Amino acid sequence: MIAHKDPMHILLADDDEDDRAFFSEAIMELKMDNKLTLFTNGNGLMDYLVLPDIKLPHILFLDLNMPGKTGIECLKEIRANTRFKDVSVAIYSTSSSEKDIEDTFIEGANIYIKKPNDFSALKKVIKEVINMNWQFHTSGLNIETFFFSI
Amino acid sequence: MKFLKLFKNSQVFKLALGVAILVVCYFGSKFFSQMQKLTSTLELIAKSNDTQLELEKLLSIINSYDYSLRNYIITNDESYLQNRFLNRGIIEEGIKKLKVLTVNDPLRKKDILTLEKLINYRFKLFRETLIAAKSNNVDQLGLKLKLKRSNDYTEMMKLFVYKVINSERLKAKFQNSNHQFELQDSLMTAFLLIILSLLILLLSFNKTNIDIEALKEANDKLKLLNESFNTAEKTAGFGHWMVNLETNTYTFSDNLYRLMGVEPNAFEPNLENTIKYFHPDDLEYVTKVHRESLINHQSTSIVFRFLTATNEVRYIMGVGSFTKDGNGDLIKIGVNYDITNQYKKTLELEENNKELKYINTELESFNNIVSHDLQEPLRKIQMFISRLEEKEFDVLSQQGRDYFSKVRVAANRMQTLLIDLVNYSRTVKGDKVFVETDLNKMITETLIDLSINVEEKNAVIQIGKLPTIKAIPFQIKQLFINLVSNSLNYSQETQIPKISITSEIITEEEASEYKIINKEDYYKIVVADNGIGFKQEYAEKIFLLFKRLETDPKYSGTGLGLAICSRIVDNHNGFIWAKSQPNEGAKFSIFLPKVDMV
Repeated sequence: MIAHKDPMHILLADDDEDDRAFFSEAIMELKMDNKLTLFTNGNGLMDYLVLPDIKLPHILFLDLNMPGKTGIECLKEIRANTRFKDVSVAIYSTSSSEKDIEDTFIEGANIYIKKPNDFSALKKVIKEVINMNWQFHTSGLNIETFFFSI
Repeated sequence: MKFLKLFKNSQVFKLALGVAILVVCYFGSKFFSQMQKLTSTLELIAKSNDTQLELEKLLSIINSYDYSLRNYIITNDESYLQNRFLNRGIIEEGIKKLKVLTVNDPLRKKDILTLEKLINYRFKLFRETLIAAKSNNVDQLGLKLKLKRSNDYTEMMKLFVYKVINSERLKAKFQNSNHQFELQDSLMTAFLLIILSLLILLLSFNKTNIDIEALKEANDKLKLLNESFNTAEKTAGFGHWMVNLETNTYTFSDNLYRLMGVEPNAFEPNLENTIKYFHPDDLEYVTKVHRESLINHQSTSIVFRFLTATNEVRYIMGVGSFTKDGNGDLIKIGVNYDITNQYKKTLELEENNKELKYINTELESFNNIVSHDLQEPLRKIQMFISRLEEKEFDVLSQQGRDYFSKVRVAANRMQTLLIDLVNYSRTVKGDKVFVETDLNKMITETLIDLSINVEEKNAVIQIGKLPTIKAIPFQIKQLFINLVSNSLNYSQETQIPKISITSEIITEEEASEYKIINKEDYYKIVVADNGIGFKQEYAEKIFLLFKRLETDPKYSGTGLGLAICSRIVDNHNGFIWAKSQPNEGAKFSIFLPKVDMV
């Protein structure tokens, strides 16, 4: 499904400036052939996604607590639209509450990542998620494997 | 029960009385008929005597007539003959009398007719004799013959009369003896009658006496019951009332008056007099409910307020229901219960509940602050530390590197503390859902979570077969995580850490320590290690919040881990017990009930 020759198109929606910086630094340091687009809130993300002539991303990293449209609202809208059926959604949040994990799982997110507190761990997570065989991951998905543990 | 018996008794008594009266009536009528018989016997005797007397009289007249005739024949004196018609009249009269006397006796009647014929014939003889004697030339021979014949006839008449008299006498004698017998019989009956009447009188008196006694006793009991009921009402804060729907009369119990703040019987019990003791706001509602119930006869249950004579507000729970009294009249019985205290307590509880809810919300938001808002900047700090460590560590002086390492350790410690605090607060929170939980699965998940730490310490973990229990899964997992982490943390540097998690049989000593009556009711899970251990005297302290035994910085710990364990076991209605000696490892025994005892 994903042509490996193509540069991966990755989106990140996160209102925290530092987290966006950590994320892009990590992507940069990973030196993978990726295209990263950053959004500072959910509304911006959704405005972008509904544009007709964009190239759809491969993976969307989605923060949950954002001003305006929250992560879960964005997730619901994305999953309600068949145009985005091939977009993998990785929840990227500080929270590791059971409720958030369960809700996003039910709404159709593909993986749940708790923001690490170590930069090398962050790099490891991003690397693994980007290289993940989504088809394989999704076919065996359950609430236990949904939560990504480093 | 006793009343029933009494009733039955009185039924039996009524029956006995009825029988006795019947017997008395029987004897009475018998006595009456005996008396009548006695009278008729006496009459018979009197008649018999009269008959005899009359017969004698007839005979004597005949005789005297005979003498008069003979005297005339001898003396030829006419004066002897002057009474002869008179005598004949007396005889006619006597015969008439005799006929009346013997009207009921056919045999005797016949005798009298015979006698009448005899007398008539005798008088014919008298006349013939007289004619013979009066003629001028007296046929002496014929006269003698006539006299002789007259004489013989008289004798024959005498014999007949005496025979009749004798037979009358016999009859009278028989009647007399009969009379004697009947007299005795009647006396006996009269005696029996009197005895029986006396007996009935005595029995009735006795029965009445007994009934009065029983009634008195029942009355006393009723009085006592009433009194204790009054006391009970007073003590329990109850009052009751009744209204007879037919007569529209009300009855109030003493305590109902007291509930209204007045003395018992302070006013005539009726709705109008009570109205002023209802709280003005409730009056309309209460009277409406009451009046409607009097029409549709449905039970009522309301809560209202009395405004007592002393201006005190009392909350009253009133229930009313319908029944029929002894006369079959429909009555409504109501019970009013003073619930002022309960009401106030409920208000207080509601207030407390509100406060508790508020505190809970506060706690919740505090948890959120700890779990999210506090962790967020900490995570950033840690991220920047890792960035600095990677990029700028080399440019720092040795002292700068030392400081920097300490910053990192402190930040990590703060993170652990925050995680533990969140975990602890999660064990306090209310959402405790018990489900079938396989402890084997819980321990497997625990070891996956702790795999890095286990590998780091090269620990050997031994797991026995564990049961499946009703539990809160995430708490049980937390329990295992904390206990295994604890064992890993406090391992001895000189030995490879060995940790075993097994299910064991409860010993007698443990059963008595925890007052476990039936050992089969509990599971016992043991987490044992070969770590540094502790003095047995601290076995209870280690479960207290923020209580740490080791102060050496090489043993990291927040003082929350075992406190969380204790809470979790508590949430499952179980016990946890630690046993240890310094440098001899520690053994944690967890007792969890088999059946859900929540």
